[in-house]
Amino acid sequence: MIQRLLPFLTLIVLFVVLSLASPYFLTYTNLSSVVRQTAVINVMALGMTIIIVAGGIDLSVGAVLAFSGLLGTMAMEAGLPIPYGIAIGLLCGLFWGTTNGLLITQLKINPFIVTLGTLGIARGLTLIISNGLPVHGIPQQFSFLGEGNLLGVPVVLWILVFCAGLTHLILEHTRMGRYAFAIGSNPEAAYYTGIPVAFHTTAVYAYSGLLCGLAGMIEASRLMTGQPTAGQGYELQVIAAVVIGGGSLRGGEGSVIGTLIGAFIMGLLSNGSDLLGISPYLQQAIIGAVIVLAVAVDELRKRKIA
Amino acid sequence: MLLELRGVRKRFGGITALRDGNLSVVPGEIHLLVGENGAGKSTLVKIAAGMVSPDGGEILWKGRRVRFERPADAAAEGIAMVHQESLLAPHLSVAENIFLGREPRLPLGLVNRRRMREAAARLIRQHRFPLDPDWRVERLNPAGKQLVEICRAIQHGSSLLIFDEPTSALSAAEAQEVFAIVRRLREQQMGVIYITHRLEELQAIGDRLTILRDGETVYSGPTGELSTQRIIQYMVGREVAAIYQRARQAPGEELLRVEGLTRKPVLEAISFSLRAGEILGLAGLVGAGRTELCRALFGLDPIEEGRIWVRGRLVRLRHPRDAVRAGLALIPEDRQRHGLALRLPLAWNVTAAALEQVSRFGFLRRLEERRQCRDYIGRLRIRAESPNQLASRLSGGNQQKVVIAKWLLRRASVFLFDEPARGIDVGAKAEVFQLMDELARAGAGILMVSSELPELLQVADRILVMRQGRLTAELPRGTTQEEIMRYAALQTQSALREPQNASGESIQQ
Repeated sequence: MIQRLLPFLTLIVLFVVLSLASPYFLTYTNLSSVVRQTAVINVMALGMTIIIVAGGIDLSVGAVLAFSGLLGTMAMEAGLPIPYGIAIGLLCGLFWGTTNGLLITQLKINPFIVTLGTLGIARGLTLIISNGLPVHGIPQQFSFLGEGNLLGVPVVLWILVFCAGLTHLILEHTRMGRYAFAIGSNPEAAYYTGIPVAFHTTAVYAYSGLLCGLAGMIEASRLMTGQPTAGQGYELQVIAAVVIGGGSLRGGEGSVIGTLIGAFIMGLLSNGSDLLGISPYLQQAIIGAVIVLAVAVDELRKRKIA
Repeated sequence: MLLELRGVRKRFGGITALRDGNLSVVPGEIHLLVGENGAGKSTLVKIAAGMVSPDGGEILWKGRRVRFERPADAAAEGIAMVHQESLLAPHLSVAENIFLGREPRLPLGLVNRRRMREAAARLIRQHRFPLDPDWRVERLNPAGKQLVEICRAIQHGSSLLIFDEPTSALSAAEAQEVFAIVRRLREQQMGVIYITHRLEELQAIGDRLTILRDGETVYSGPTGELSTQRIIQYMVGREVAAIYQRARQAPGEELLRVEGLTRKPVLEAISFSLRAGEILGLAGLVGAGRTELCRALFGLDPIEEGRIWVRGRLVRLRHPRDAVRAGLALIPEDRQRHGLALRLPLAWNVTAAALEQVSRFGFLRRLEERRQCRDYIGRLRIRAESPNQLASRLSGGNQQKVVIAKWLLRRASVFLFDEPARGIDVGAKAEVFQLMDELARAGAGILMVSSELPELLQVADRILVMRQGRLTAELPRGTTQEEIMRYAALQTQSALREPQNASGESIQQ
């Protein structure tokens, strides 16, 4: 049980240590900046959680984020109202997620390969469409999404709470979530049980794509530009958050709470390193070590009960 | 005396696997080791093969006290274990598999392929195995793979061979081939320890018999001395209803009707019908098309021709989902691979096919789910700590019951049981058959595939026989094994060497 709570305890210890180590840590400004910084990774990690539970993987999330952010901001630059711009961003994410799902289920190609391919395609298209240049002409009010507050709390935190609640509901309390577990644990048995494996697998990728589209709009709002190079390398952080939170790349395991904890552990590590003046190079190494450690502990726990 | 184990003990965590294991093997004998799942058979032979180190007791090898720390220690003394086929590398050749990890070397650590091939060919010739060193292992049938395992075990002059259920995945004819090989090994004065679940194998090949129960050796002696009934008593430690006999009952409405079902070359013009309350047996050799028939009926393989009616309605089955909707249920042969999500809780496995029944407005009612699951755990006498227990931690018999519970909850009406009792122990077997009987009484129709003819004769109301993708006979209850075999193997030959069906299946498929 202790080991199961380990990610949570790690988060608390990290929090306490940082509060003691730096006078700047426990301030409203710093904490809300941690929330804003991790929100993008967090939102994407929610979708990735269901994908990983269903035994899949999505490497294209960063590229989809950039594609969605670009097209959404271009729409606003062209004069469309902000909600329409956001909707276009979401639809772009949905499109790429669905494409991933259909390629995986219809062509029966390994998700690692499919999403490696769509990573390249989406990133390439983003650069072609933008000519490699960022989009700047965005209405000022759009910054509300990434930088604004509602009732004294960052808007992104409201969004994150809503998305986390929704994802938790899907994963634990709907057929789609249960089928994700069944497919991830044993796809053949799921098929033999009459579960519509292809449909639900596609749905899982589509949902994750939608969240990537949302993350793309949040990122664009925080930067107040549509950056064609946004989100590079995010896929690894997103996968790391899920894995630190107890998700298993063998499928059939993972939870929303775990993923949130995983994402915040990474957020605090990077924030703490900044506050304590640890070099960003060392930061990378620390986060890498934490990933290996988290998975090792989890494996040991499972071996014990097996 | 070749090998003697005296008072061997072993605990794993809080569980005692062996409390008093005794076993002695002399050269030139086949020594059978039987017992229920969990009786300690595997632990005992693993100790003999150096794979597990005992907590206490003595191991004597050729009269000398020994301690094996690693499998390599036992192998060096000449004790070898024939593993299940899953330990072979399917993409490598027969010769490469035989010498895997012990390849003859050239300078610079390169593999001497020529010497390896020659050595493999010599070994195969010496034992007159129907193998070729260059065949790829993935193309061998299970019996062929078994032979490769045997070659691997005996290649460096072992004097004691341990077989762990070698025939559990083989057809009757293939099993005969394995018996012949084991007997040949005996002629060469090797000692053989042979674990089996199939009691009918006792008379076929055993010289002596050791029975384990709850980690203790409860009997050791010549095989001829005990009746099958007594052996079962020793194994389970209580009286078991002699042979499970079903009461006959009048069949009801037609539940399943199949006409001209064809999927060349594995199925040709199959027609039959199944009524409510009936258990229809399906006999045949491996490769006769029995599993293929189940697969086609369950929408797993496309059908070329033919029509299927379920409860009077013509159905098209293109996906298992269509079959499940029509009221069919498949209890697959390989339940761990096709029947269960082992890493998920037992409750989730039970409700996987019928989530609609435990949800409302699209949301799962998890309390209702647990309640239903508890209900089935009770009704099917599934031995589990709680509905949250992982399916992987259940015994084989209880796993089988979980698969059955899944389809009961779904309220299926036609059950396709593919080898329902394979790999589960005697007590659980009886329970599974009883469940099938209860299902039939409650109005279900059951198609039961089995390679165990005594099982079919006990349980089935009628028996269909298949050979080479065709139905060759429909036999009434009360027929004999000889009669079934006659239709199953009309012009049979060595199942290993000669083509067995139209696709030219032989040892090299």
